[in-house]
Amino acid sequence: MTATAHARRLYDAGDLLYQWTARNVRARYQQSALGWLWAILLPTAQALTFTAVFTVVVPIDTGPVPYVLFSYVAIVPWTLLSAALPDMANSVVENMSLVTKIYFPREVLPIAALAARLMDAGVAAALSLVLFAWAGVPVFGPTWIALPLLVAIQLLLLLGAGLACAALNVLFRDVRAVLVLGIQIWFYATPVVYPVEMVPEQYRAFYFLNPMAGVVVGYRDVLLDGSWPGAYLASSAAAAVLIFVLGCVLFKRIEPRFSDVI
Amino acid sequence: MTSIKPMIEFKNVSKLYQLGLTRTSLPRVISQRATALFRKGTPQPDRDFWALRDVSFEVQAGESLALVGPNGAGKTTIFRLLARITQPTSGTLSVRGRLSALIELGAGFHPDLTGRENVFLNGAILGLRRKEIEKHFDEIVDFSGLERFIDTPLKRYSSGMAIRLGFAVASCIEPEVLLVDEVLAVGDAAFQRKCIERIQQLRANGTCLMFVSHNPYLIRAVCEKALYINQGAVRALGAADDIIDAYQRDVQNEQAQALERSHKGEHEPAGDGEIEITNIEVSGEERYGDGTLDSRYSAQIRLHYSAAKQLGEVRASVFLIRSDGVSACMVRSSNCSERLWIDEGQGQICVRLEPLQLVGGTYCVEAHLLDETDSILLTRRTIRSDWFAVAGAAPTNSNPRSGVFEPRSRWSHTTDQDHEDELESPVENSSDEAYR
Repeated sequence: MTATAHARRLYDAGDLLYQWTARNVRARYQQSALGWLWAILLPTAQALTFTAVFTVVVPIDTGPVPYVLFSYVAIVPWTLLSAALPDMANSVVENMSLVTKIYFPREVLPIAALAARLMDAGVAAALSLVLFAWAGVPVFGPTWIALPLLVAIQLLLLLGAGLACAALNVLFRDVRAVLVLGIQIWFYATPVVYPVEMVPEQYRAFYFLNPMAGVVVGYRDVLLDGSWPGAYLASSAAAAVLIFVLGCVLFKRIEPRFSDVI
Repeated sequence: MTSIKPMIEFKNVSKLYQLGLTRTSLPRVISQRATALFRKGTPQPDRDFWALRDVSFEVQAGESLALVGPNGAGKTTIFRLLARITQPTSGTLSVRGRLSALIELGAGFHPDLTGRENVFLNGAILGLRRKEIEKHFDEIVDFSGLERFIDTPLKRYSSGMAIRLGFAVASCIEPEVLLVDEVLAVGDAAFQRKCIERIQQLRANGTCLMFVSHNPYLIRAVCEKALYINQGAVRALGAADDIIDAYQRDVQNEQAQALERSHKGEHEPAGDGEIEITNIEVSGEERYGDGTLDSRYSAQIRLHYSAAKQLGEVRASVFLIRSDGVSACMVRSSNCSERLWIDEGQGQICVRLEPLQLVGGTYCVEAHLLDETDSILLTRRTIRSDWFAVAGAAPTNSNPRSGVFEPRSRWSHTTDQDHEDELESPVENSSDEAYR
């Protein structure tokens, strides 16, 4: 099947994608008292913790931007990654009873897992508008036009990595353990708690091969600094596209074996 | 050959499962390699399992095909292949038109969601668009009979309620190809009848059906053709009646052999062997010309004996035993006026059953000779005839409640409003006229 045929099939499964996403979200908040408020509480609590540590204990200079805002802008996309990837990795394995009994486009499972987390990220992002107003950062500046590009790069990255993890997890459950460790290391390789300027100049080119580095720096430039993303985004985007293609290929290669490997 | 393409086509399809390969771990692989090093030449155990081997068949538009065969024969694998859940190892298969599988009812139901939410979720998994589900929603709720509980979370449903909801969603699809796998075994009788009605309604609209069931009556009710598979290979394909009979004869033969094995070495109190039955022959009217006796006609049992001395008057007892070990009947010569006088030498004792009147199945005859008081066993060895198949007036079936005896029957029907003279026109059993 060609890539367009796959896309067409996925489009036909649009209703299923919607239903499955809704199922994930509803099921997640079903018996929780605070419900979707968790989508705001978690990144806020994290931002406050980082602010306490990196303004009092190990002060980090973030220029004119208050540290809370500086970190919150990065925590929202990072939380999306750190929450969505394990969900996506488990999505096929968790629904094995379904996969072995009914045919439907399998990609729906990891993509719906991502979509459910994306809703949380959207809620958390909306809160940042309040923070911007409080800190006096101009809202809806001209550079905000670049936001969809940054979101797209991150989604390509997450789709690629998530599809690969979901498929590999069917064969080797080690993926889960590797992922926990991987996300931890990835966190330190991404400028969430520190500004990218603290990374020595000679390592920068290499550093931006991490697509998340480009995405996070991009968000800060566009939202807080009011500047356009620089050349660094090119290598991050290229890496994200590469991961996306590899992830799709890997998923499609392993997919026929899903129902035979239980 | 018609130029119309079949709805379902299997061409030399084989499916290989590799057992034990699913849980590979690095430590295990290393330990396996290590043991292989020390125990050179030991071949690895055969882990290949051919669930299907070179299976070919076609189902034309509007046809219905039942799959019969013992557990593990490959029926489910065929369904999984048709439903695109798994791919064949070799060969090709094609399905034309929209396929719906009533294999796993309520797949993807989430306990925390309400019945309503689950209807939409389940429908989407089955490939229905939201609009289609909205269109059929009332019909689905009505069919399931769960109006009052539709906004209750599914976890508060009984398992029967959940299955009813699942069937209601799955069957509102109007598929061109429908797979039904033993799902009707669940639910109460009223619901089962509803399900069968729905299947027959779809059949009437031209839906092509593939059906797996162990209930021969149900198969006959909804299928005209059947495919008999065993150990992954096609044994026979043909009219449902013939295939079910062939399958059940095989099952009964196997039962009979198992019975034979369990009886070996079993010693009953025996006589001194001055007379022995050397052979038992069973003959009668045949139904298909393959040795199957027609139970609507008479049958003869012939006991060949060999006596070492003159014994005078003896009595004979003949037992008919069915393949599942059930003793169907005992026929004793003491019950009739005929005297059996035995001199030294060989001879035959013959008993005629008129008519045989057994329910279809596989049977054998066991016989003993006793003294004139009908109490002391004369024969030492227990001799059995070969197993033979019997075709009853009703279809062969494995339902234990159908018993072993099939009396000649005549049916009539009156209501309280009927006049007495209508009693005089009984409705005759169609097979009745065949009785002699």
